[in-house]
Amino acid sequence: MLGFPDIWVFLGYILTPVSTLFCLIYGFFNWRKGVEEKDGDYREEIRWEREEIELIEKLP
Amino acid sequence: MLYLIVFTIIYLAITIYLSYLGYKKTTTVSDYLLAGRQVHPVTMSLSYGSTYISTSAIIGFGGVSALYGFSMSWLAFLNILVGVWIAFVVFGKRTRKMGKALDAHTFPELLGRRYNSRFIQGFSGFVILFFMPVYTAAILIGISRFIEVYLRVPFATALLVFLLINACYVIWGGLKGVLYTSAFQGIIMIVVMIIIGITTYFYAGGLIEGHRELTSMTSYIPQELLSAGHNGFTSFPLAGSPIWWFVITTMILGVGIGVLGQPQLNVRFMTLKSDRELNRSIPFTAIYILFTTGIAFTVGVLTNVIFYKNIGMLSIEAVFGNVDKIIPMYIDRFYPQWFVAIFLVTLMSAAMSANSAQFLAMGASLSRDIFEQALLKGKSLAETTIVTRIGIVFSIFATLILGLLMPEGIVAVATAFFFGLCGATFIPAYLFGLYWKRGSKTAAKASILCGFFSSLIWMLFFHENESRAIGICRFFFGSDTLAGHPFNMIDPQVIALPLSFIVFIVVSYLTRPVSQEVLRKAFRHI
Repeated sequence: MLGFPDIWVFLGYILTPVSTLFCLIYGFFNWRKGVEEKDGDYREEIRWEREEIELIEKLP
Repeated sequence: MLYLIVFTIIYLAITIYLSYLGYKKTTTVSDYLLAGRQVHPVTMSLSYGSTYISTSAIIGFGGVSALYGFSMSWLAFLNILVGVWIAFVVFGKRTRKMGKALDAHTFPELLGRRYNSRFIQGFSGFVILFFMPVYTAAILIGISRFIEVYLRVPFATALLVFLLINACYVIWGGLKGVLYTSAFQGIIMIVVMIIIGITTYFYAGGLIEGHRELTSMTSYIPQELLSAGHNGFTSFPLAGSPIWWFVITTMILGVGIGVLGQPQLNVRFMTLKSDRELNRSIPFTAIYILFTTGIAFTVGVLTNVIFYKNIGMLSIEAVFGNVDKIIPMYIDRFYPQWFVAIFLVTLMSAAMSANSAQFLAMGASLSRDIFEQALLKGKSLAETTIVTRIGIVFSIFATLILGLLMPEGIVAVATAFFFGLCGATFIPAYLFGLYWKRGSKTAAKASILCGFFSSLIWMLFFHENESRAIGICRFFFGSDTLAGHPFNMIDPQVIALPLSFIVFIVVSYLTRPVSQEVLRKAFRHI
């Protein structure tokens, strides 16, 4: 077991790169997903920007 | 020394230039606080990673690994599974959407608006402003120990000078500056850590041989560690022993789980445009954590083989018990001077990026969370940026004082303290806020207060590490702790987090849920 006498230490050592691999696979399969926004988002952006302008005007 | 000066100047010049770019682009309050919510996934990954993995991870936890061995690899595993995948997928996606829907600019603001409670925002801001300096100081101590070892300057001077440099670019750059510099710092860190990882295994005789060598060194471990449950560098500590409780509950769980409640990390999710950017950030962040944390912990343990081969001592003996000096001393003794200089630059970068994000989180807590919400009852303050800067200055002073007062070998322990405190205080209200509409405002308040105060009580009266150092328990009860083994070794978060979860659920069912209007707004994009 890579020179480790304890199975728990071996598991921790192996799970570290395995979890990285899992994240890589997750990223690969979801690379293009999650770009769609809901209808209300556009209106919200305008509201957010308006609030933003108000905040700027209050700045010294 | 020449290498050191040259590399430091190059590094500082690039950092200052990038901060200047950030400053030039900082035009609005939201620019200053959230980098305009449009950050590239790779920048996000590197900045999240370098905020998460700081000097504390490399020097503090690297040193702790040298002492307790490869059982610490479980923390590296949790750093990736919990700190990256769960943090991004389970928490990050909804945090981004909810943050946008509620127009939240800070982590306490997200919680406060989700539960429609100024108290929650103000109190969360208070926790950040007054307790984050412990963690910030831990990081600062890490880098200052390094500078002390290599430049042969007094520790206090190193601490003061480094803090000053860091303060300058945070105050002038805001998060945008921090994000740019973090990405630059992240790249240097990965390259340097890979080189250290490969050469350390080479010095130790190879992967399997190095591990076997460590196994054969069990008999050299000091007797007091063996009798406290140390089982060798390649085995877990003896189950139920004091070291086992410390490694599992404080080091592995305290930091591994507590990361989910870290305000300066959670605020990063709001800087992304869509879930796609978040998905794309995951692999880069995971790789970053693997190459930094994973390598730092492994190198930490292997230093024992190398120190023993060369000077006939274990790492902990070579540094006279100060675990924070193990990694600096290892690099100093066994690497060429030009590489030492690069390593110093890497560590400075790690410390600067982590500290910067924290100073900004503390500044924002004072202006938006404590001042605007808790004290001014929601009235918008014209001088938000100025108050943010006042908050940053306060946090810099608090960090300086703590940095000078805290004892030796404290880096990993102080980090675990802050991670644990944030975990117990924020995780239930945060998680249920993202997923459970039935959760009530009263439940969130009760859970946050319960997590915070039960952590503090456990630290002051039960958990011997802290209670002995603080001394309140001895003053009132004549003993360092009110509990016997194993309770005196169980980390506060392990007690306080389940408690605050239970409190949240029970109180939610007993009280009225948050109004439909607030819920509709918060869950608009979910």
